[in-house]
Amino acid sequence: MITRRLTLATPLALLATRAFGAAAPPFCMVMNSGEASVSVIDMGSKQVINTLPTYREPSHWALTPDRQTLYVCDASGNAFFGFDPVTAAAKGRVKIADPYQLAYSPDAKYLVVNALRLNHVDVYDAATLTLVKRFKAGQWPSHLDYSPDSRWCFSSQQKTNALFSFDMATLTPRWTVPIGDTPAGVLWLNGKLIVCLMGENGIVEVDPVNGHITRRVATGPGAHNVFLDETRQILYISNRGPGDTTLSALDPVTLDIKRTYTMPGGPDDIGIAPDGKIWIALRFAEQVAVMDPDTGTYDTIDVGRSPHGLYLSTCLSQKGRLTAQTV
Amino acid sequence: MSIDRLFSILAGRMDQYAVLPILYHFHWMEWDDLSFDWCLVCIYGLFAVIITYAVCVPLELWRPVEHWPNQKAVLVDVFYTLLNRVGIIPIVSFLLFYQVQTAFTGGLVDMGFIPPTLDSLIPGLFGHPFVTFWIYALILDFADYWRHRLSHTFRAWYALHALHHAQRQMSFWSDDRNHFFDDCISFLWFFVIGLAIGIPPLQFPLLILLLRFVESFSHANIKLSYGKLEWLVVSPRFHRLHHALRAAGHHSCNYGGVFPLWDIIFRTADFSPIWLATGDAKSPEALATGSYLQQQFCGAKMFFKALFAPKKKAA
Repeated sequence: MITRRLTLATPLALLATRAFGAAAPPFCMVMNSGEASVSVIDMGSKQVINTLPTYREPSHWALTPDRQTLYVCDASGNAFFGFDPVTAAAKGRVKIADPYQLAYSPDAKYLVVNALRLNHVDVYDAATLTLVKRFKAGQWPSHLDYSPDSRWCFSSQQKTNALFSFDMATLTPRWTVPIGDTPAGVLWLNGKLIVCLMGENGIVEVDPVNGHITRRVATGPGAHNVFLDETRQILYISNRGPGDTTLSALDPVTLDIKRTYTMPGGPDDIGIAPDGKIWIALRFAEQVAVMDPDTGTYDTIDVGRSPHGLYLSTCLSQKGRLTAQTV
Repeated sequence: MSIDRLFSILAGRMDQYAVLPILYHFHWMEWDDLSFDWCLVCIYGLFAVIITYAVCVPLELWRPVEHWPNQKAVLVDVFYTLLNRVGIIPIVSFLLFYQVQTAFTGGLVDMGFIPPTLDSLIPGLFGHPFVTFWIYALILDFADYWRHRLSHTFRAWYALHALHHAQRQMSFWSDDRNHFFDDCISFLWFFVIGLAIGIPPLQFPLLILLLRFVESFSHANIKLSYGKLEWLVVSPRFHRLHHALRAAGHHSCNYGGVFPLWDIIFRTADFSPIWLATGDAKSPEALATGSYLQQQFCGAKMFFKALFAPKKKAA
């Protein structure tokens, strides 16, 4: 009887681990754009425990709405690399044209992919990954986000200095507006959009109805991407220079700058761990920094060349929709 | 700290404090993602030049094939090397390749075809980047063998390539001594190969440097052969036979850049244990001892003359 219980218990435990991520050690996966690999870091020991290959140039990630697969984009490899979001085990590849940055719509109906090199904003059916619509709205589509009701999608056009929006119901363009020099990260925040401007000294707040700029905030030169710590209500902006590179912490309601952290090495994407530590990909330093936001001190972990997107498996404990910018 | 990481850190500093300020000032920050790669190319290029210099100079002093009364002609080759390895040419080539490749790939994708990479074409290769790297190296060297051989076959093409052969004071600096049009043809050649098999992975920059080192070293003014290993890797003696006065022009030998394998297979290999004088007796003096601009101008003139000249009838 005991043997039978054990025999049954083992797969059940594995299922439980897979389903809830309970026993799997939490990991950070960082996409090394410059050397065709992802590094898997044990979040407890802060050691790289595995390095997995991709084709060419992994950049960003998205979690499927059912949370079963973590897709990593490989732009010049023209592929998604699938991973188990709980264990980091490889789960196969999907052929996709030039995926640079991506996000599932909040209603889980579509997956929008920015094909930066090819100047496409591609809309795929989320379930089948078949191409539904291709927009050519500008040059070098960089980052994207949606309105929470899945009504609108917004994509920054890095080379043509514009923000492009299209209607998700009709899949027709709404507007393309000039937004500032080299727009990158985009985030829907409290009924407005936050757009980072790499060619300027900070971010702009934009009215999603008409694309008009309603406010500017100087966070630092080379503002690249924007992340929201929903638990602690802090908005982070990575500023990649020129010169010294920084991470700005803002009040998400007032957009007042609460603190600026000096972060050498070109901060790019970040993730917030449950203990409040901030995991930061440092593009020029080949490292991930793990920073205590209270003290500003940080440890570094050596990873591959040009670390770019960053996923923390601990995000699975959060409820609701998970995106790269709100974990 | 590994040398790889050290180079990345140096490239990062160069990017942050030298390149990004320029991009930011001129509103070119859209290139921010790629400027780090340009800095890496420059840092690795500079390292390659330093290593090649450090290895070749003592050897050229110790066992030179030839002694030259003055080395003025070599100075132009130094300029070619710096321009090609560290300077603006890699970045211009990259930008050009990037734009053309983007337009071409975009057209293919619009037609529903997503170009493959070598490791997506051959599933067994995926996850074995080291093996993939050497397959790429062999394919590219094979392509380079035929590019090089054809450059000796067509009259107009050789009119350009003659600049490379005109050097009578051949040293490790001579590898990058090429006409700009010849470089453009090489660029197009490898562009087509790149489209067919995917762009080679760049995760082994030190190995790429090693291959480039073999090519530079094979031009060195050193009385050196590799013995039995000469069948595996191109040596200074093997490549010197290609640059010999007797081999200039249409009936040359030893076209291989890194691996002599292609010369062996296609019966163009010459392993004679001799060290011959180099140069091209038929080329104008400006190609051998002129300034950079004189060489480029003279090469272009010869090219257009050969291109538009009536074909000689067989006797």
